[in-house]
Amino acid sequence: MELTEGDLVRKCQNGDLGAFEELSAKYYRRVFMAVLGVLNHRDDAMDVAQEAFYRAFKSIKRFEGGSSFYTWLYRIAMNLAIDFQRRRKRNATELTENFDDAMFAQGEMGSDPYREARDRELGGRLRAAIDGLTPDHKAVIVLRAVEGLSYKEIGRIVGCSEGTVMSRLHYARKKLQEKLGSDL
Amino acid sequence: MMESCANIQERLGAWVDGELDPVAGERVELHLKQCPLCLGEKGRIERINSTLKNTLEAEAVNVPFAPFWAGVHARIVEERSWQVRVVDWFRLTLTPPRLVWAIPAVILLLLGVLSLERFVPGLGFGQTNLASVESIDGHGMNVALLRESQTKTTVIWLFEDHEGENENTPEPAPADPAF
Amino acid sequence: MRAKTKTPLNLLPPTLLFSLWLVLPPGIVRAAEKSQPGVQVKIGTIVASNEADCLDPLLSKMKQQLEVIKYRCYRLLREDSQRVSWLANALFEIPGGRSLLVMPQEYRNNRISLKVRLLEGEKPLVDTTVRVPNRGNFLIGGSAHEGGVLIFSISAATP
Repeated sequence: MELTEGDLVRKCQNGDLGAFEELSAKYYRRVFMAVLGVLNHRDDAMDVAQEAFYRAFKSIKRFEGGSSFYTWLYRIAMNLAIDFQRRRKRNATELTENFDDAMFAQGEMGSDPYREARDRELGGRLRAAIDGLTPDHKAVIVLRAVEGLSYKEIGRIVGCSEGTVMSRLHYARKKLQEKLGSDL
Repeated sequence: MMESCANIQERLGAWVDGELDPVAGERVELHLKQCPLCLGEKGRIERINSTLKNTLEAEAVNVPFAPFWAGVHARIVEERSWQVRVVDWFRLTLTPPRLVWAIPAVILLLLGVLSLERFVPGLGFGQTNLASVESIDGHGMNVALLRESQTKTTVIWLFEDHEGENENTPEPAPADPAF
Repeated sequence: MRAKTKTPLNLLPPTLLFSLWLVLPPGIVRAAEKSQPGVQVKIGTIVASNEADCLDPLLSKMKQQLEVIKYRCYRLLREDSQRVSWLANALFEIPGGRSLLVMPQEYRNNRISLKVRLLEGEKPLVDTTVRVPNRGNFLIGGSAHEGGVLIFSISAATP
């Protein structure tokens, strides 16, 4: 019989590392994506994402089920990423280089190579532009764009009201448009 | 009358995100049908969302699980030094949700300690309940000062300046008026 | 698993506001003390003598204090109370053509600084500055009166 997520969580709370591995397999990519969106550095994002899962396992007994497991996990990851971002700033050049490396690591181009190349270039500029935002603004724009989470869920993750999420998103988008201009 | 573009653009992001109520959403939709400027704005917001999602997905797709889990597993089984564990404990304990309660708790504690004297007289921080005299000018008269801590009594006593009297005696001479 | 109805993080702003509410009122009270009505100053005029052993019932709370002065009899002649603004003078008429001028100067560490002048007519007899605990008192005595001596109990309290 297949275990539900609730069952897996309960098993984790009893110290079952195998159950936690299953949960990790389910969510690791999404957590990594969100953290990467905030940190814009692959190695750091990997480090922080792994740390987030470690901390989730250590504190899983405190998870009471008030939110979904994923929201709770995301909260840990976002807090770590924001905290990490605040403590260590990297310069834009290094970030751009990292992005370029990642771009070369991608697979074959699709049917419209011109459009894809243009999108990749825009993606690079967009991420560099996002990097100019504060960690709090980065977190909301990444969570909304990447995860499509509701304002309520985003608020729960980053710890603010829906109104604040809305105004942060509005501000972040305005700033990005100013920086990217006609590229968009 | 059509709403202003400034008003619409304030809410455009929320509309794209599906967070506006139906009435407000309808106003935005109506405006977009007639305003190419705001329609372009909507397109830019959607572009930001989709581009960001695509670029991050493109990176995440190349992350295999096995090495990722190896990193997590290593952290779980690793014996962290007590210093690291203490720092981690503080970080975990003093994250904003808990700090929220720590702030008023600390303030209440400080207020309580500082107010202790009021509720338990004598239990202050060495602060005496005795009045203290900072200055006396008898304008030519002899003045004595008596302070008795047990009864918390501070007395300023005025003496008429007669020869032969013991000026240091704190107790008054009842028969001799001071004035 | 019981769900929490509120996210603790959402409580940060109201909790910080609550914390301010805890901190601000005492601060505001202290800061506003000079602009508020000020200090309630009470002067009790007591006659002490050795005629007999007596203690006015109204002075029972001061028994231990008065015993320090070692008279046998204590009677409360009158009690006057005035609310005095900070740095303002209040005049209290006392028997024998004398008066007490009291000026509350400042409030610090739960103590009120009072400047007190005993006058005979317009002539100052004694000037003193005393730091008295809030709701505390001190005594000035020695003036002769009707076979005994006058003792003034000067107390001060902020609201």
